[in-house]
Amino acid sequence: MTVLSNRLSRWTLPIFGCALVNFVAAQGLILAGVTWPARSVSAPGTLAAVHLLVIGWLLLLMLGALFQFVPVITARPLVSQSLALATLIALEAGLVGMVGGFFAIGAGHPALAMALPAGGAVVSLGVLIGCWNIGIPLLRSRPLSLPGRMVLTGMAFLLLTVTLGFSFALAVTVPALAPYLAPLLAGVSDHALAGLGGWFTLTAMGASYKLLPMFMLAPEERGIAGKAAHVLGTVGIALAVGAGVAREWSVAEPLRVAESMGYAAVATAVAAFLWDIVRIYRTRKRAVIEAHNRAAIAAFAFLGLGSALAVGFVMTDHPRAGAPVIVFIVVFGWLGGLGLTQLYKIVPFLTWLSRYGISLGRGVVPRVQDLVRERRSYPWFALYFLGVLLGAVFGLSGSSHGFRACLVLITLATLGLVIEYWRAWRGHYAQLLHGESSTPPFLPTHRG
Amino acid sequence: MNTAICLDRDGVLQALHDVIDPELGYNIVDLGLIYELQVDGGVVEITMTMTTPGCPAQDYILSGVYERCKSLPGVNDAKIHLTFLPAWSPRLMTPVAKAHFGIHE
Repeated sequence: MTVLSNRLSRWTLPIFGCALVNFVAAQGLILAGVTWPARSVSAPGTLAAVHLLVIGWLLLLMLGALFQFVPVITARPLVSQSLALATLIALEAGLVGMVGGFFAIGAGHPALAMALPAGGAVVSLGVLIGCWNIGIPLLRSRPLSLPGRMVLTGMAFLLLTVTLGFSFALAVTVPALAPYLAPLLAGVSDHALAGLGGWFTLTAMGASYKLLPMFMLAPEERGIAGKAAHVLGTVGIALAVGAGVAREWSVAEPLRVAESMGYAAVATAVAAFLWDIVRIYRTRKRAVIEAHNRAAIAAFAFLGLGSALAVGFVMTDHPRAGAPVIVFIVVFGWLGGLGLTQLYKIVPFLTWLSRYGISLGRGVVPRVQDLVRERRSYPWFALYFLGVLLGAVFGLSGSSHGFRACLVLITLATLGLVIEYWRAWRGHYAQLLHGESSTPPFLPTHRG
Repeated sequence: MNTAICLDRDGVLQALHDVIDPELGYNIVDLGLIYELQVDGGVVEITMTMTTPGCPAQDYILSGVYERCKSLPGVNDAKIHLTFLPAWSPRLMTPVAKAHFGIHE
């Protein structure tokens, strides 16, 4: 029997590798003191680091995961494995242009600053290719399950985020367009909400709804809480972003009310989702859960913390004062934390598929669990989340030195986890068990 | 070596304990993934499922079942049918597997 391996996303592991490099590079910029809180939130270094984080780390991570995850929830293959590579190349190349463009603006080089919209255009192309690759199997699988609907909704917000971001890039670099697009620049928070809330968070919620029950043997039926999280999250973010953008041109009171209602709906959606996550953990049949699911609890807690802080700052009429810390908590604690914890399962699983899958039934093969040493991961996860928590405290107090000291903890923990991913991919621990010596291919060995 | 000893239903089932679901790290027989198994002459016919539709390891598990069957003395062919009706659930595990995962029902 010939093994059909079109269920294995062949570019996901290289995409994860690039994402981790970008994550560490962004941490390097923060440690170098060229970003908030040492500089303003609109400083070129801050903008460069933020885009390294959200495009270079989180977007690549999410798309890489979806290239593997969407065929699981739709039971249909991607449009093309090659398009996943095209996405990776476009996002990386575009990101280099964007980061260079931000620093060129800071250095006062208008000509070089054109790298920002040029890079943004290439990133947009990469996003379109990626959305096409995962959107087609999703659309062909209707009626979709809740995770699929959440991913599809998230993709719509991704396209909105990219459109807003590209408009910003044109507004700051093309003088002829500035009169038309400049008002949009006041809506950076809408761009961030559409991206971090609409795209990343809704999609991560959908992925969690599929993967957590699967890994922990819990009931998959989500009921009213799951639907509420999806509907309220979608409507809330659409309302808040729509009204927020419209308010850049009009000060009408109904727009302010609509924006507030949107934020309230988002907070309610987060509460419903977290309540449902607690239910998944409590109703699981698997008594002893694996490290990635244990550590993910901290990421869910940071989602709750970020949402609670946002509500608190809005209710005290100081939403902009807390925005940088809330973004830090969401990017590092919730999304970054969830990403790092789930990589601890996905990397060995993909390694197993590419290295040992072919040997199943022909001899002794290790389990996915044999590719990791869970007890080695716990100190790194603890250090990472401790660093994020303390970083949020120092960020709120405005202590740049304290915040950067926490980044040292976060960077050490990230590097420690990267080593563990590397060992899993190399089969380091499996070699100790089975005395093997070969290394699996990092890059695809045959066409899909 | 007696080449007739393995070619019965129990012998094939016993051999399939060597095939694992890589994610759960446990053999597919005790997980309850084998729904039907018939041995007719030198042909083994199996109807089985996966823990979830679209499982990334599906093709490897099906291949593993086929290869393990074909490796048995006296087996000329193996026909593997995949179904998701009924959907798999942890209730289908054997008591041994449930004990392994700490499932108390």
